[in-house]
Amino acid sequence: MLLWRQFAMEWRLYGRDRVAMFWTMAFPVLLLLGFGTIFRDGGSPKLSVVRVQSPVSSTQDAAFDQALSELHLKVQSLPKPEAEARWSRGETAAQLEADGAGYRLRLNSYLMAQAGATAGLVNQAWLVAQARLSGAPEPQRIPVQVESPGHKRSTNYASFLLPGLLGLNLVSMGLFSVGMVNVSYREKGKFRRLAVTPLPKWIFLLGQVLHRLTVTVAQAAILLLVGSLVFGIQNQGSFLDLLLIMTLGTGCFMAFGFALSGFAETSEGYAALSNLVFFPLMLLSGVYFTLDAAPAWLQHTVAIMPLAPFLRALRAVFNDGAGLAGHGLGLVIVGAWALAAFILALRRFRWA
Amino acid sequence: MSGPALRIRGLKKAFPKVVAVDGVDLEVARGEVFGLLGPNGAGKTTTLEIIEGLTVADSGEIEILGLTWAHQGKEIRSRIGVQLQSTSLFNKITPREALDLYGSYYPKCRGTQELLELVQLEEKADAYHITLSGGQQQRLALALALVNDPEMVFLDEPTTGLDPQARRSLWDVVRRMKGEGRTVVLTTHYMDEAEALCDRLAIMDRGKVIATGTPASLISDLAMPSVVELTFEGSAPDPSAFAARLGEAVEPRTDLWEIRTPDPKALLPRLLEAAEAATIPFQQVHIRRATLEDVFLMRTGRSLRE
Repeated sequence: MLLWRQFAMEWRLYGRDRVAMFWTMAFPVLLLLGFGTIFRDGGSPKLSVVRVQSPVSSTQDAAFDQALSELHLKVQSLPKPEAEARWSRGETAAQLEADGAGYRLRLNSYLMAQAGATAGLVNQAWLVAQARLSGAPEPQRIPVQVESPGHKRSTNYASFLLPGLLGLNLVSMGLFSVGMVNVSYREKGKFRRLAVTPLPKWIFLLGQVLHRLTVTVAQAAILLLVGSLVFGIQNQGSFLDLLLIMTLGTGCFMAFGFALSGFAETSEGYAALSNLVFFPLMLLSGVYFTLDAAPAWLQHTVAIMPLAPFLRALRAVFNDGAGLAGHGLGLVIVGAWALAAFILALRRFRWA
Repeated sequence: MSGPALRIRGLKKAFPKVVAVDGVDLEVARGEVFGLLGPNGAGKTTTLEIIEGLTVADSGEIEILGLTWAHQGKEIRSRIGVQLQSTSLFNKITPREALDLYGSYYPKCRGTQELLELVQLEEKADAYHITLSGGQQQRLALALALVNDPEMVFLDEPTTGLDPQARRSLWDVVRRMKGEGRTVVLTTHYMDEAEALCDRLAIMDRGKVIATGTPASLISDLAMPSVVELTFEGSAPDPSAFAARLGEAVEPRTDLWEIRTPDPKALLPRLLEAAEAATIPFQQVHIRRATLEDVFLMRTGRSLRE
């Protein structure tokens, strides 16, 4: 009864802070809509090459242009001055122009990811064009198959992004919201006012935790709804598994927040501290880039960080409809982190 | 219901840089308003926080309503009401909601409406806390301290930072608490507040209680409970030559001289005569009873108001 009152009051007061509530709910949705739309066609932008128009078009040029047009490559044909102007503005990744009897391909060192791939395609077209000009047999291409690594179904970027956003919500809820609220309550003396009443402290804290948990569930529901309506993304696994993983993750990262709040004296101090934890956690969890090239010790460290196994299990359930059985070890790692953070939180937590 | 409401023996608390409470003994009777008077940093708040169970003392004994923190913490919390120096509530909670919520924490609670009336907040009952004036916020803090119908109420500097009108309205609430038979312990650094509200006082300085008694007895116990003041236009001149002629100690203040005396009637003719002989250009003569301010000054050699 006491717990219910505390929980209801948390929601009531939360509901009055309209701006904060709107952004908590809307921000992940905006991220999904934004990135999901930009990268609708599979995650990487189309490759393109600027072709500088030759003053007179030779048969060799015609064969080359024909071969280029057969590839998945956007060819922009521009007169020399325009092409040069575009090149010096840094907008061109690769520029192809005649050079004596042959050709010259200039690559933009700032856009090597696109330029490198483009160079491969351009050379491929040149080989095809040369073969055709000399009457040699048409070269064979190796068939290509697009897959989503680690997943059974081939999915688009939005459905890759959505579970990531669900997971990131939990992390920021735990680290930024819960921890920050605790530090500011302590700083402003709200905890002290509660401490002189007979209210058991665990009821206050549990009320807060339950409130955060339901906010997270509401956030997730909105995100899933938008994902389904706009991008047609469906949860492939069971909702129970999803809920289990989300609960475990929420517990883990909330415990992180509680534990961290015991180490900061002021809100400002906490903001610095939580970023110190958040960014390595996020960057080194293989969410944004793969760490194949990193030293072995770093890879081992990353493997036992909580965010990576959590997101992997979440994506497996959500995108592939996998059961939880295959992700036992990952869930154990997350659980161990949750337990460690919880124990640390109990030891470090202070009311005043 | 027998024995004192509060008994404290040998209370000590040291922080890394300062000894905040240095051997305090106190006894507060049931039903009285008891004041801890002293300048900022005297140890009043720390003493109060130890009594309220917010801070743990290094040593000493405390008995509240015959109970001890070590064994009956929960019962003590249920039977006392506390107003902290700054009561921080959620910005967007209303007085009515705050009283309902805090009332739900206690086994026994008073009606919210009754409390709102008591502190005259009926009109602001549904306004957000952040929109209340300083005085209204303090009155709400007092109402929160009364939410559990406590036998004993602790108020830490209840009127600091309020305008005179708001202070008087708060004093009325404190008097009503006493009228309802509650024991009140409050801290203040205003001597007028201590005189107006308190049945008994403990004057604190540097972690120690330097005097205890009723406001009247603290003053009359002074060796020289009367003060004669000679006021000047502009700043007061150096009194040393005049003091030698008069044969009394004369203390210069900004625009007046103070002469303390056990017997103003006997002093006055001598004083006027000496002043005339020395052609002292004073404007007016006042005779006043000593105040708690003077008590503090006489005992510590320092002013209460830093």
